[in-house]
Amino acid sequence: MDTETNVAVADTPAGAATEPAANESVVIETRNLSKIYRDFWGRKKVHALKSLDIEVRQGEIFGLLGPNGSGKSTTIKLILGLLFPTSGRVLVFDKDAGETQKNERIGYLPEESYLYKFLTAEETLDFYGRLFDLSAAERRERVSKLIEMVGLQGAKSRQLKEYSKGMTRRVGLAQALINDPDLILLDEPTTGLDPIGTREMKDLILGLRDQGKTVLLCSHQLADVQDVCDRVAILHQGELKELGRVEDLLKVQDITEVHATGLSDEAKREIADVISRHGGKLESMDNPTATMEDLFLNIVRESEARPGARRVSQRPDSADGQSESDSGGSV
Amino acid sequence: MNLQPEDFWSFEEWFLRPDAFLESAALKGIVLFVLAVVLGLLLGYVISAARYGSGEGFYAVARAIRDFFRFDLPGTAPRRVLALSRLAFKEAVRRKVLYVVGLFVVMLLLAGWYLNPQSDDPGRLYISFVLTATNYLVLALALFISAFSLPEDIKNRTMYTIVTKPVRATEIVLGRMIGFMAMGTVILVPMGLLSYFFVVRGLDHTHYEVEELVELPGGGYEGETDYVPSHHHSHSFTLGEDGLGTTDSVRGHRHVVLRQSDGTFEIGPPEGALRARVPDYGDMVFRDRGGNLDDQGIDVGSERLAGGYGSAGMARLIGVTGGQRKLLHGYIEGGTLGAAEYTFDQVNPERYPDNIPIDLSLRAYRSYKGDIETGIRGSITMKHPSKPIESNAIPFIVDEYEVDERMLPLNIEGTDGTETRELNVFEDLVDEEGRLTVVIRCLDRGQYLGATPSSAYLRPAENSFGWNLTKAYASIWLQMAMITAFGVMFSTFLTGPVAMVATAVVVLLGFSAEQVYDTRHYIDAGQNRGGGPIESLVRLIRQDAMTTELDVDALAGKVIKTTDAGIVYMLDALATALPNLPKMVGTAEFAASGFDIFGALLARHATATLGYVVLAFVISYFTLKSREIAA
Repeated sequence: MDTETNVAVADTPAGAATEPAANESVVIETRNLSKIYRDFWGRKKVHALKSLDIEVRQGEIFGLLGPNGSGKSTTIKLILGLLFPTSGRVLVFDKDAGETQKNERIGYLPEESYLYKFLTAEETLDFYGRLFDLSAAERRERVSKLIEMVGLQGAKSRQLKEYSKGMTRRVGLAQALINDPDLILLDEPTTGLDPIGTREMKDLILGLRDQGKTVLLCSHQLADVQDVCDRVAILHQGELKELGRVEDLLKVQDITEVHATGLSDEAKREIADVISRHGGKLESMDNPTATMEDLFLNIVRESEARPGARRVSQRPDSADGQSESDSGGSV
Repeated sequence: MNLQPEDFWSFEEWFLRPDAFLESAALKGIVLFVLAVVLGLLLGYVISAARYGSGEGFYAVARAIRDFFRFDLPGTAPRRVLALSRLAFKEAVRRKVLYVVGLFVVMLLLAGWYLNPQSDDPGRLYISFVLTATNYLVLALALFISAFSLPEDIKNRTMYTIVTKPVRATEIVLGRMIGFMAMGTVILVPMGLLSYFFVVRGLDHTHYEVEELVELPGGGYEGETDYVPSHHHSHSFTLGEDGLGTTDSVRGHRHVVLRQSDGTFEIGPPEGALRARVPDYGDMVFRDRGGNLDDQGIDVGSERLAGGYGSAGMARLIGVTGGQRKLLHGYIEGGTLGAAEYTFDQVNPERYPDNIPIDLSLRAYRSYKGDIETGIRGSITMKHPSKPIESNAIPFIVDEYEVDERMLPLNIEGTDGTETRELNVFEDLVDEEGRLTVVIRCLDRGQYLGATPSSAYLRPAENSFGWNLTKAYASIWLQMAMITAFGVMFSTFLTGPVAMVATAVVVLLGFSAEQVYDTRHYIDAGQNRGGGPIESLVRLIRQDAMTTELDVDALAGKVIKTTDAGIVYMLDALATALPNLPKMVGTAEFAASGFDIFGALLARHATATLGYVVLAFVISYFTLKSREIAA
């Protein structure tokens, strides 16, 4: 039982130089992992997972990606020992997934926060702290730190049944980190969160990685996975379809992207000419649209900086798609 | 109160049964554990073989056992257990189970409507009411809170966040059990206090005045107290020359009456309604009409039909138990040398400084009507266990259906061999080992007195009623603990409602164990007493009496009887394996009858409870461990 005494919970944003998979030691290893759900009479109902072989290395953020029912949650539950494999093995920290001792170093945020609704946030965290056999002083320290980290100082003495979904999610995250785990398993970490919460969650995940922790998350929010994951495995109908580094997987080899500002229409025409002269084919030349997430976050940040009614800018229903905030074009 | 043979056993006798180990509780416990281990291993192997194949299944079972002893049992941390039991406790509070105490208060408030105030012994009525009410309320409650918690946590998936922490299955089970037992305690304590005050206050009353006072010619007074309408009685009393005396006993109590110097009377509070007699039972033998030793006394017939098979542990189950199944009254014939002889130990001046209190609860059997006014006469004689020294007979009139409290004097006229002289009990009648024999005879020719080993006892001490009630509550606590453990055990592999029903079945089968034993005995003995379930059903439909020959054709009869025997034997084995709850509920009878619940009895119940709780705990561990929490 190794209980680190120093609490290292992340509140530093991502940004420091990241060296993913610096240490190549394997944290989770599945060998030929299969799961068949059977009914009461032992008849086969679903082949939820078929011969999965993945390795999650220390210090990386690993994403399990796939549509609903593709076996993501099943994989996480097998890793946690909540389910027993039909065949194959899962090793976590070189221990069998069925062993309880591995849980000392694991934090788990379930799909929905399955917490005791009649406890307050503080009581909840204290309770889970006790389950790690932490001393009273340690628990006090970690609980207050985590409550601060997830931003629930104002609501820490309210029962969870009064919480909104996002707040419950934060408590769920805090309880997953109570033991300062080395491996964090997040099942759909951003569901139920508003865009700010989503962004904070993503920053937090990156922060955890920066502390050298290993994160395994599963999601069908593709944008989230793309933003944070170092490596992803894509599952479909229980089978591994793709596995690799995110940037490698997403790189489109024969398309060139150029971003530029201050170009006149004439310059754009010239560029198009240059492209066709070199035998290339211009696919599109347009002003990019910002993502809804960016827009939303901008508005919220602005209103936090300057409270009060915001002037809703009357944008022209321009046919050419020109908007006042955009000044660039992209090829 | 009619005690059974096992009620006389000390703790060691019960646990080890020195002469009959087959009947011992220890053996029963060992067999249960071995059986649980063997069945557990078999079942575990079958399940894991189905899961992983026959070879791998063997290793899975071996691993589970190794994990239990190597990791989970030593890894069980008090802090985690405590955290989980606090949670279980909080959860129970949240389910508003404390309302049960409120319900109990309402029951007490309404009790006046259905407790008959004109009963002969209101004390008994009140005590058995509060104890029975508490007992069933708390058992029902234990059933509910223990059976639903775990399945609900698994269904709500709150279990996910628990089992993904380094929490051992041992801790989950233990936490639940301890939490719910704490809840039960929190409920039982106020119920116990309320009961105490309800009984004490309910029986308390004051007589203020003296009526129809007559001054006796030889000094002293005779009179009657006033009538207390709410308690429906008055007393008559006789005072000595010193103006001090007691009233007669009405409705289980009496008062001390004192005539003050100014001629007014002071009537004390009710006494004797709430007590805890500490009996000292002796060894008993019968003598037949010729004065020869006899082990049974006369059987007047009706007794044997009463059934009862006793709890003789494994011996009874495998059919080798000897001796009486149940203690029956043996009768002694009046006007003959027939007698019941009780030999008591430790008769010494320290325990009996002034006189020797002896309580009799004898039965009378009349072979003719006789003098119906006065009842049947008997006599008590004190005798040296081995020498021919005995006191003169002290006559009495048998007081049926009540504990007849008498005093034996320390100095009494008697015969020493052929010489007649004044005897001192301790010097002349008690032998070197401190033993004294008391002989009870029936004086009326042709009438009979019935006695069992518990019919006469010396009463060296009394305990306080409050302490006795506490012990009765401790017995209820033990039952609650047992049911909680069973409830938690079933809830590790069944859904909430099913777990509750399973626990209820255990309780009900435990309660009807004696009937199952009887049924099996009648089948074994070839007696027609209605037979097993199928035969009973046939008899019900055909409206046949229990004791007639089953009137179906030979083959059908054979099939019915064979199937019945199979069912009854299985039920018998099951009932033997289950806790003997009626015995535990029976401790209430001690308190209600005003007998001290002796320590050995409580220790026996506590040991049995501990045994079952440990068994339930181990079974729970393995079932929970082998369960897919997320399935």
